[in-house]
This record gives sequence, structure tokens and C-alpha cells, in this order.
Amino acid sequence: MRPLAIGSNTDQRPPRIYWALIALIVVGVVSVPQFRTLSNLANVLDQSATLAVLALGQAFVIAGGLIDLSVGQLVGLITVIACMMFEAFPGMGLLIIVGCLTLAAVVGLINGELINRLKMPPLILTFGMLSVLQGFIFMLTDRSVGVTLPAITFLSNGRLFGIPVSLLLVAAISIAAYHALQRSVFGWHLLAMGNSADSARKAGLSLFALTRTAYLVSGLCAGIAALLVAGRLGTGFPNAGNGFELDAIVAVVLGGTPLKGGRVSVVGILGAVLFLGVLSNLLNLLQVPAFTQIMVKGVIVIVAILADRPGRLAPA
Amino acid sequence: MSAMAENPKQANRLPSLEKAAVWIVLLVLLALAGLASDAFFKLNYLTNLLRQAAPVGITAVGVTFVMLLRGVDLSVGAIVSMSAVMCALVMGGKPENLWIGIVASCACGALVGLANGLLIAYGKVSAFILTLGMSIVVYGLVQMSTGGTARGIVSPGFREILNGRIAGFMPVLVICLLAAVVVGMILQSRTVFGRSIYLIGANPAAARVAGLPVKRVTVIAYAVSGLFAALGGLALLARTGVSGTNPGQGLEFDVLAAVVLGGTTFAGGRGSVGGTFAGVMVLLIALNLANVAGLPFAAQLTIKGLIIIAASAAHSWIGSRSGGRQND
Repeated sequence: MRPLAIGSNTDQRPPRIYWALIALIVVGVVSVPQFRTLSNLANVLDQSATLAVLALGQAFVIAGGLIDLSVGQLVGLITVIACMMFEAFPGMGLLIIVGCLTLAAVVGLINGELINRLKMPPLILTFGMLSVLQGFIFMLTDRSVGVTLPAITFLSNGRLFGIPVSLLLVAAISIAAYHALQRSVFGWHLLAMGNSADSARKAGLSLFALTRTAYLVSGLCAGIAALLVAGRLGTGFPNAGNGFELDAIVAVVLGGTPLKGGRVSVVGILGAVLFLGVLSNLLNLLQVPAFTQIMVKGVIVIVAILADRPGRLAPA
Repeated sequence: MSAMAENPKQANRLPSLEKAAVWIVLLVLLALAGLASDAFFKLNYLTNLLRQAAPVGITAVGVTFVMLLRGVDLSVGAIVSMSAVMCALVMGGKPENLWIGIVASCACGALVGLANGLLIAYGKVSAFILTLGMSIVVYGLVQMSTGGTARGIVSPGFREILNGRIAGFMPVLVICLLAAVVVGMILQSRTVFGRSIYLIGANPAAARVAGLPVKRVTVIAYAVSGLFAALGGLALLARTGVSGTNPGQGLEFDVLAAVVLGGTTFAGGRGSVGGTFAGVMVLLIALNLANVAGLPFAAQLTIKGLIIIAASAAHSWIGSRSGGRQND
């Protein structure tokens, strides 16, 4: 069904989402004066950082033919926990950050382990986990709690020599993700599993280990994204992560990674995240009413996916 | 995920433990429920439970067809919202608009489903993302038409009839749900459309080579899903009486969970409308158990999640005993 060369994705031309991105930027530059300012550009990058990190984490699971719906609520949970802890123990910032990232990674690990042990469809398991995590959040609080540390605010909103710190963070994670997914043996094995779990098993790969690692990365990325969210909001808002999982999946797929896995493009995902960020920014600058914005975004998702279709997908 | 389509005939024929799995889970849950509270086996309670299941249950019947076809429909939550809001808006509290409202809602639901089907069949795009995009579009349209506040009034008689009870105990909504399930079962096993869906879902490439009208069946399946979602919206409107602005929010996930619990896998070609009905009941009884136990809302959410996981795990464990099913 699929071409044999698993790694062929690494040497493709730039993903098509970039044409849409360029078109959108041209429209913005021509028609909206505020769009052209540097501060607006930095703003878009700041706002896109959370989605970029989440989407890169999601890319690991999707590349392996899996999916993780729990990341949105995981972001919410970690945001709430981090802000509560920052308020209670302001002196132990670093420890709390490490603890929160570990917790997020452990939740991811639990997802992967349960999928392995219970032999369950990933979608249903992570959907169940979504509900479980949401319950945990509301057991902790039903309103915004806690504070953030200046360091966390700096991470999401700060500038280093005029460059947004969040951009540097996203760049670092992107490079790491690119090497892990598209330039390493682990990545090849993960994509092989995405292409055909059966063949990968017959070839002697440990599907358990691959699944576990993919979910671990997804959870860890959700933890990082949660810190970014905490920095932007300045407080632990229990609904902070609602719907993030779907945004992340949309970004991954718009970036040219099929949902059934087997192919992945980190560059494409970054393009898709930027596309969504610029779109939202433009609609805001054009003062489009909120409800109309929602509809426009839906239409754009549909148009973009129609334009970006590989052309040989089965009806699925 | 594509590795398990090898034997469509076997999938259709095996009335094995695999198909019974969800019913076993349902019976266990019912037994647990009976232990938790003796009210559970009272007729009134059971019919009430079924009444609650109507919106999700009716919608899930339609989604089953799409899932059998290896597709997925995430737009049903938005269609449920649209149907409820639109029906209330069109009715405007006037008795003469009763049928216009119902017909308009169903037509719009089927139209959205048709659009889904056409784009998926001829555009060859991922159903997951396409229907997700469609749900965002429909949600935006609904919000634009309501302006963000609850508007529209149902016609007199609409609620009264649908919430009434026939012969003093059988709620009309339950009959609607059972009717939807029966129609779904007939569609599934007594029509060419239904049989084609199993074959296409089990192996799209082979179905195409064999000359089955893959595209037409795909379009019809999504239209059916949209129509059933619209009916689910009407059921929801009948239960609540007010449309709100987004009454179907998140319903697509409940529906998806129910369908998968019912034994219809994402790989397509396997499952049944009957199984979906059992899946809906498992989900609902689980939530009810949490409620009966007097747990706060937060704990209920957690328990709902755990039960979805446990039921699905038990289901796939029983399935694997029968040697029929494997997940990745």
C-alpha cells in the first residue's frame, strides 16, 4: 500500500502548508498596517509557542500510528499544580519545574504502558485519560489558583537580545524533535511502526518500547507547554488546556503528517503552527467577530486539508 | 491499524465471544449497579436511564455506519447543537411551525453529513480532520445565529409528546431510541448499503476492485450519520426544552466512546448497531453509578474516564480470548 522507503520523507520538498502561510502573510502585509510591525511578529511567535511544543509532542505519537487526546487536560493539570506549588513554595522554583515536567512525563508513560498492557485502541484510552485528568483538575480547584514565578513569565513573554525566549525554546525542541524523528534510528523504527505495526513486529522491533517512548515524549511536551501557559496566564486556570489536543492534532496533520502515521515532517508542523498563529492574529487585527472567526478557522482547516492531500489516501 | 482487515467474511459471520463482549460488560455493570442500589431494577429507573440515553444513543447509531467504513465523524456534536438550536429558532413557540422545525433540522443535519461525505469520498482527505474542521464551521455558524445567548422557543406540544409515556410507563423518547436502533439494524443487515459498508470497511481496495460503489456508499454513510445526529439533537431539545447555545458540546466524544465500547473498531469492517446500543448503555450506567454513589462532579469525571478505560480493556481482553480481535 505504501512505498517501501520509510525515510524518503526526510528529503521532500517543503510541505505545501508553506504556500498557504506565504499567501496569508502577503495578504496581511498588504492589507493590515499593524501586521507589519516587529512587535506583532514577536506577538505571533509568543502565542504560537504553546501550540508548537504540543504539536511536536503529538508528532511522536502520530508518527507511530498512535494518538494522544489527553495532552490538553494534562496541560491544564500541570498548569494548576505548578501555579499552586509556586505560591506555596516560592523558594523552590527549580525543583517544582523539574517535578512538574517529571509528573507530565509519567502521565505520558502511564498512557503508553496502559496501551501496551491492556491492548487498547490509543484513541479510547487517551480519551478516558482526558476525562480522568479533567476530574483531577476539578478535584484540585474549580477556579484560577496560584501565581507564577518571574522566571516562568520570562520563559513565555521575555526577550533575550530582542528575540522571544519562547522562540528559542521552540527552536531547541524542534531541532531535537527533527533529529529524533527524522534523523535517528529511533525515528526510523517509530515510522516503521506507523507504517505497519505488524511488519515492524515481524522485523523484530519492540513495539512496546516505541509506544512507551512516544507517549513519554508527548507527556513531557505537554508539561513544557503547561509551563508556557502558566507564564502567559500568570495563574493556574483549570480550563487552560481545553481543546488543545485537537489544535495540536490539526497542526500535525496540516503540516503533512498523515493521521495513520508512517510519515512525519517537523518543518511542516512548524509551518502549520505558524499558519494557524498568523491566521488568528490577522482575524483579530481585522476585528472579525469571535463567532465568525471560529467559522473561518473551520473553513480554513477544511480548505487546507483539501489542498494538502497526498492524493493516494484510502477513504478513511 | 490497517493490518486487521484480512478476513471480511469471517468478521461478518463470527457470532463469537467477541461480539458478546460488550454485552458481558453491560451485564456485569448492571449487576454492580443492582448491588449499589435496589432502585436500579425498578422499571421506572430503567426507562429513565434509556430516556437519558436517547440523544447519545440515536447519534451513535449513525456514527456506527461511518466507523464501520473505517471513517470517523467528529462533527456530530456540532450537528446535535445545530439541530437543537435551529429547531427551537424555527419553531419560535408557534404550534404551526412544529413540523417545519423538525424537518428543517433533519434536512440541515443530513446536508452537513452529505458535505462531509462528498469531501471525504471525492477529496480523499482524512475523515478525522475534515469532520473536525466541519464541526468548527458548524459550531461557528450556530454561535453566529444565536449571537451567544439562548434563543428560540419550542412549539407547544413538542416537549409534552416526546416526554410523555405510552401506557403509563414507556417514555416516547425510549421508543424513539429503540426505533432508531431497529432502523439502524435493518439498514446494517437487510440492505445492500449495509452489506457494502462491511465489505468496504474490511478492505477498501478489494471492494473497489470488486466494483462496489465505494464513493456512493461513503457519501450515504456520512449523510446517514448527519441525519441521525440531527435526530439526536431533537431528542436533546425535547429533554431539555431550551436549546442553549451549544448543547451538543463534547457529545461527539461520548458517542465515539460508546461506538468503540460497542465493538466497532477504528479499523472498520467490524461491529454492529446492536453493539453500539450496548456501548451507550455501558457508558450511561457507569455515569449513573458514579451519580448514585453521590460523588462530586470532579470525581465523576475521573470515574467516567476510568470506566471507559476499564470497560474497553475488558472488552478487548474478552475479544482476544475468542481469538478474533487484535489491536495493533
